Amino acid sequence: MILSKKTLARRTVLRGVGATLALPMLDAMVPALSGISGRAAEPVRRLGWVYAPNGMAMNAWRPAGTESLELSPILGPLAPYREQTVVVSGLAQGQAEALGDGNGEHTRATATWLNGVHPRETEGADVRAGKTADQIAAEQLGRTTPLSSLELAIDQDFLVGSCDNGYSCVYMNTIAWRDPTTPLPMQNNPRVVFERLFGEGGSTAHRQVEFGKDRSILDAITSDLARLQRDVGSSDRARVTQYLDAVRAVERRIQLSEQNDTELPEIERPVGIPESYQEHVELMFDLMALAYQVDMTRVFTFMLGRELNGRAYPEIGIPDSHHGLSHHRDDPQALAQLARINSYHVSLFKHFLDELANTPDGDGSLLDHSLLMYGAALSDSNKHLHFDLPLLLVGGGAGQLKGGRHLRYPRDTPMTNLLVSQLDKAGVRLGDQLGDSTGRLVELAPLANI
Amino acid sequence: MVRIPSVRTWAGLTLWRRPSILRAAMSMSFVTVVVRLLVAGAVTVLGAVSVHAAAGSGGGQSVTGPSWQQGLVDRYCVACHNERLRTADLALEAHDVNTVGDAPDIWENVVRKLRAGTMPPLRRPRPDQATYDEFTRWLEAELDRVAAANLNPGRTEAFHRLNRTEYHNAVRDLLGLEVDVNELLPADGSSYGFDNIAGVLGISPTLLERYLGAARKISRIAVGRPAPSATTETFRVANDLSQDDWVEGMPFGTRGGATFQYNFPQDGEYIVKVLLARGTGGQLATFDVSHTLEVSLDNEIVQSYTVGEPPPVDASRGSDAYRDWQARQRTADSDWEFRLPVRAGSRDIQVTFARRTWAYPETVREPYLRPYTARDTRHQPYLGQITVTGPYDANDVPPVGSTPTRRRIFVCEPSETDSTREQTACAREILSTLARRAYRRPATPGDLDALLGFFEEGRAAEGFDAGIEFSLRWVLASPEFVLRVERDPDGLAAGTNYEITDLELASRLSFFLWSSLPDDELLDVASRGRLRDPAVLERQTRRMLDDDRARALVTNFASQWLYLRNVPALYPDEDLFPHVGEALRQAMRRETELFVESIFRGDQSVLELLTADYTFVNERLARHYDIPHVYGSHFRRVSLDRLGNTARRGLLGHASVLAVTSYPNRTSPVLRGKWVLENLLGTPPASPPPDVPSLEETNDAGEVLSVREATERHRANPVCASCHQLMDPPGFALEQFDAVGRFRTHTAANTPIDATGELPDGTQFDGASGLRDALVSSPGRFVGTLTEKLLTYALGRGLEHYDAPIVRGIVRDAAEEDYHFSSIVLGIVKSPPFRMRRTES
Repeated sequence: MILSKKTLARRTVLRGVGATLALPMLDAMVPALSGISGRAAEPVRRLGWVYAPNGMAMNAWRPAGTESLELSPILGPLAPYREQTVVVSGLAQGQAEALGDGNGEHTRATATWLNGVHPRETEGADVRAGKTADQIAAEQLGRTTPLSSLELAIDQDFLVGSCDNGYSCVYMNTIAWRDPTTPLPMQNNPRVVFERLFGEGGSTAHRQVEFGKDRSILDAITSDLARLQRDVGSSDRARVTQYLDAVRAVERRIQLSEQNDTELPEIERPVGIPESYQEHVELMFDLMALAYQVDMTRVFTFMLGRELNGRAYPEIGIPDSHHGLSHHRDDPQALAQLARINSYHVSLFKHFLDELANTPDGDGSLLDHSLLMYGAALSDSNKHLHFDLPLLLVGGGAGQLKGGRHLRYPRDTPMTNLLVSQLDKAGVRLGDQLGDSTGRLVELAPLANI
Repeated sequence: MVRIPSVRTWAGLTLWRRPSILRAAMSMSFVTVVVRLLVAGAVTVLGAVSVHAAAGSGGGQSVTGPSWQQGLVDRYCVACHNERLRTADLALEAHDVNTVGDAPDIWENVVRKLRAGTMPPLRRPRPDQATYDEFTRWLEAELDRVAAANLNPGRTEAFHRLNRTEYHNAVRDLLGLEVDVNELLPADGSSYGFDNIAGVLGISPTLLERYLGAARKISRIAVGRPAPSATTETFRVANDLSQDDWVEGMPFGTRGGATFQYNFPQDGEYIVKVLLARGTGGQLATFDVSHTLEVSLDNEIVQSYTVGEPPPVDASRGSDAYRDWQARQRTADSDWEFRLPVRAGSRDIQVTFARRTWAYPETVREPYLRPYTARDTRHQPYLGQITVTGPYDANDVPPVGSTPTRRRIFVCEPSETDSTREQTACAREILSTLARRAYRRPATPGDLDALLGFFEEGRAAEGFDAGIEFSLRWVLASPEFVLRVERDPDGLAAGTNYEITDLELASRLSFFLWSSLPDDELLDVASRGRLRDPAVLERQTRRMLDDDRARALVTNFASQWLYLRNVPALYPDEDLFPHVGEALRQAMRRETELFVESIFRGDQSVLELLTADYTFVNERLARHYDIPHVYGSHFRRVSLDRLGNTARRGLLGHASVLAVTSYPNRTSPVLRGKWVLENLLGTPPASPPPDVPSLEETNDAGEVLSVREATERHRANPVCASCHQLMDPPGFALEQFDAVGRFRTHTAANTPIDATGELPDGTQFDGASGLRDALVSSPGRFVGTLTEKLLTYALGRGLEHYDAPIVRGIVRDAAEEDYHFSSIVLGIVKSPPFRMRRTES
C-alpha cells in the first residue's frame, strides 16, 4: 500500500504539539482505493446531524420565498453550498409540547429532536425517550465500520443547576439515544475522540495483542453479568441487559478493528480541549471529517451547544449570555445579536462543509456522499416554540438531494417526516415508525435513476 | 376512614366543597371578596378553635362534624385547590386531612408549602400565625405518626455504577495513583442536582469502551510497564491568569509560570517542550528586554531559555534589521525543547521566569488585572503550556519499591529463581488483597480463579509483572468493581423491609463520606458483621469524617449543592470586569471550599454556613472584597465583623455563589433567588412558562432601569408574579453585591441599591444581613434542605414522600445538638433508608 504522509497531514488536527502517533491504516484512507476495490459503483453514504442550541432568530433564518432558495442573513455563510442545500420550513416536534407535563421546554426540545418521542418526565431510573434517527442509521450504515456512530459536543460537562426541574439532566445532555432507555454520552474532548478513532498507537502486532486482551475481559464480563442476571429481581434485569448489549457492541467494534488494522502512517494527535470556542468546534469538525475520510464511521451527531447555554461570544462582539438573548421579546437589537450568534454557528458548520468538499471520495467528494441536517430544536426561542423549526439538509446525499430549494410545509407536519426522508435517501430502512412520523416528505422522495 | 362532609360548623364554608352554579359563575375577584369577608368574621372563631385543639388530643376529631384542621383546609385551601380549578394540579376536596395516611404524598406537599410559608399565597387570606403554626405542626406530627407505623425505607437501585469522581477516588485509594479521570471517562448525567443518582447511571457501548480503555491505561501505569508508544501530556496555563507577579509555590525571585505534577510512567528519557503564551491570532509578542525562563524538575533546574532583546539601534520599523529582530522574537520559543532522563514516579515540573527589576511602562495594566484575551496586553512573556512526551529508551519494569503504587500492589515479590508454584502463591496474595479492596468484600474462590486465569495468561506471555498487570486490568474493568450491587436476600416476600448486609452498608458509608472505596478497617469491621451495631456504626462514621478523604463532602457534595463546579466556567464580560481572571476564579472557589470544610470537618453548627463571622481569603480575594492588610497567595481566616464587612457573612456573601448566579454582564435577582429557594430553602420554583418576556433594560422614556426596577416591572405581569414574588425578594437582598460579588451601594447606573424585600410568609428584610436573619430565624427549613440534599446524595436516589418524616426526625434530633454537622451525618447514617431496603413489590 502506498501512501504519502502528505495525504494525511491534516492541518488542523495537527494544531497540537503532541507526539506523532502511528495510525492504523484503513482501506478508505486511500481515496483511489475505492475504485480498486470496486466500491465506486455504490458510493458510501454518510449521515450527520448538527444541533444549534437555544432556538433561532427566526426573522433572520427564514429564507424569503419558496422553491428557489434565497439565503437569509443567518444562512449567508452557506452561499458556496447553496446548490446542495434544502431549507425545510414549517415542521414541528409536537411531542416536545408539554402534553400535560410540567415546564421543561428546552429539555423536551432536545430529547425529541431526533426521535419525535415524548420523553418521560422523571429524574429517576425510569428515564425514557425514543431511539433516535442517527442510531437507526448507525445500526445499518455502521455495520461495516469500526464505530457505528460518533456523538460529539462542545459544552463543558460539569455544570450543575442547569436542567429543568423534574427532568434528569441526561435528557438535555445528548441528542442520541441508542434505545429508549440508553442515552449516549457525547464526547467533548478532541483527544478522547481521537483515541476512540485511532487508539493510542503502537505496532500492529501490539494492537492485535491488546484487542485479544479486551476480548478476554469482555468474555469475563459476560459471564459475570450472567451470574448477576440470576441474582437480581426482574425489574433490575433491564440494567444487566443494557450492559450485555454494550458488551456485544464493543465486541463487534473490536472484531471490525481487527479486520481493518493494517498500515501505519504518522499523524499528530490533538492535546485536549482548546480554549477558544471556535478552535474547539473546528477541531471537532476536523476529527469528524477525518473519521468520514478513513471510514471509521458514517454517522455522527454534534451539539454546538446545550440548551440553556449562557455562553457569551465576545470574539464576535456579543458579551451577553446566549440563553438570555434568546428571550429577545422581539426586541430588534436583541434579535440582531442573536442572529449574529446563529450565523456564527452556521459559519463554523460551513468550515466543516469545506473540509468535506475538499476531500475526494470515490468519484466525488465526501460532501457529495453525505447528507447532513443542521438546525435547532426550538424556533422562536423567546416563546419556546416547537413548530416551524429551523432546519436544513445539505450535501450531495450520493446524488439523492436536489438542492437550491426552500420547502415549506403546513404548520403541523412532523419533523420526523423529514428525518424519515433523510434516512430514506441514505438507504436506511425503518423497521418501526419513527416517533410521530406520518410518512415521507414527497418533495424529498428518492430521486429516480440513481 | 371516610369523613362525613354533611355538617358544617361554619356557615358558608360548604360553598367551597359543593360545586354549584353560583360558584362556577363566580369571578376570581368575587371569590377574593368572599374570602376576605369570611376572614374578617372568623378571627374569633379560629382563635377559639386553635385553643380547643391545643387542649385536645391533637388527632382527635368529632364524628359529627369536621375537625378544626379540616375546617382550615376547607376554608383556606380548597378555594383554589378543588376539582374544578385544580390549581397546581392539586384538588384537596377528595382528601381528608384527618386520615393523612390515605394520601401521604399529597399532605407532604402541603406541609412543604406551609413550612415555606408560600401557601396561601401572599395577599390571600390566611389564618393567624399561631393557628398556622399549630396546624403545620399537627399535620407533620400526623404524617410522622403514620409513617412510623408503616415504615418504608425505600428501594435503592440494585446497580449503582461508580461515577467519574468515584472511579477516580477508588483508583487513588486502591492503587495510590492519581489519574486524570476526565480524560478517561465521560461525564455522568445528573438528576436531583447530583451526578451519583444510580437510576440514571446506565451503561452504553461508549461508556464500556471507555472503562476498558481506562483499565488498560491505569493497570499499565500502576505496574510501570511500557506503553506501546511514547505518550504526550500537555499542561496549559489559563490565558487569563496574570503572571506578572510571584506565584505561590515558586522560588522567591521568580515571577509567573506554574508547577505541574506528572506521573512519569517509567524510567527513561522524556522530551519537554515549552511554549510561551500567545496573543490573539496565535502570535508571540515582542519583548525588548531579555527574560530568562527556567525549567526545573523536583526543584533542580534542568534547562533555561531567554527571550527578548533590544531592537536594533537606529533601525526604523520598516527596515530589514527591525524585521529580522521582529521575526526572531516571534519565533523565540520554536526550539525550546529538550530531552532528559527521568526516573519513574510522580514529579514536579516547574517552569518560571527569573524576576527582573522592572520599572513598569506607562501602558502596563494595574497588577491583578487579568491579561486581555481579546487583544494582547502582556508586557512580559507568560508561560503558555508545556508538553511532556515519552518515555524513549525506557528501561524495563522498574523495581518493586520504586513507586508508591508498586509498593501498594506488590505485597510480596517473587524472586527470579522462584518456581512457578511460588510465583503463583505470591500472585494469589497480591490479587486477593487487591480484589478485596476493589470489590469491597472478601474475594471468593470464583474471583480468584478468574484473576489467576488472567495472571497466568499475562505471565505466560511476558512474565510475572505482566501477569499482575493483566489481572489488575480485569479488576478495573470488572462489573464487580464498576458496579455496586445490592441484592435482596433470598426468600423474602415482595415489599418486605430488610437490613442490608454489613458489607453493603460499608460501601454505602464510604461512598457517602469519601466518594470512594471502604478502607481495610471498615472492611474488617463489616466482614465481622459488626458494622450494623449502632455504636460501631457511629464510631466508624466519626473516624471516617476525621479522615482526609471526607474532604469529598466538600469537593464533591458541596461543590454540586452550591454550584461551585460552575466557577471554572465563569467568564464575566471582559470590559465590565477586567480583573476577573483565573487567579480570582481559583480564589473564589477555594474560599468557599475552605469555608465549608471548616464547618463540615470542624463539626460546627451548619447554621454557621449562613451566619459565620469569618471567611478565608488570600491577597487576590481580599482586594476583591476590599479587605485590607492581606498579603500573599496563601489563604487565611479573617473575621468579617471586625472589618465592618457584616454583609458578607456566610455563604450568601461568597463571590463564588454570587458570581455563578449572575449573567456575564449583570446581576440576576431571579437566578440568585432561585438558587436560594432551591438550595437553601428546598422549594425550587417551577420553570418559566413559554413566551416569558425577559427583562426590559429601559423604561418607556428610554431611561436605563436598574436590574431591580426591571425585575419589578417583569413581576407586574400576573403570570410571572406567582413565582417571582417568591423568587425575586431573596435576589433583591443580594443586589448589594455586583455580578462578580463585589459589595456595592449603587448600581452601575449610579442609582442607590434597594435591597429590601419580603419573604412569602410576610417577613420583611433589608439586604444580605436581613435575608440571612430571616433564613435562620426558623432554622428547620435550611437544615431540612441540607439534610434532604445530603440524604439524596448518600442514597443515590431521589427522595420520596415517605422519606420526609425521616428527614424531619433527623433535623429534630440534630436540633438537640445545635445542628452540628456530625449530628446530621449520623442521623442519616442511622436512618432506615440508609441501613435498610425494601424488596421489589
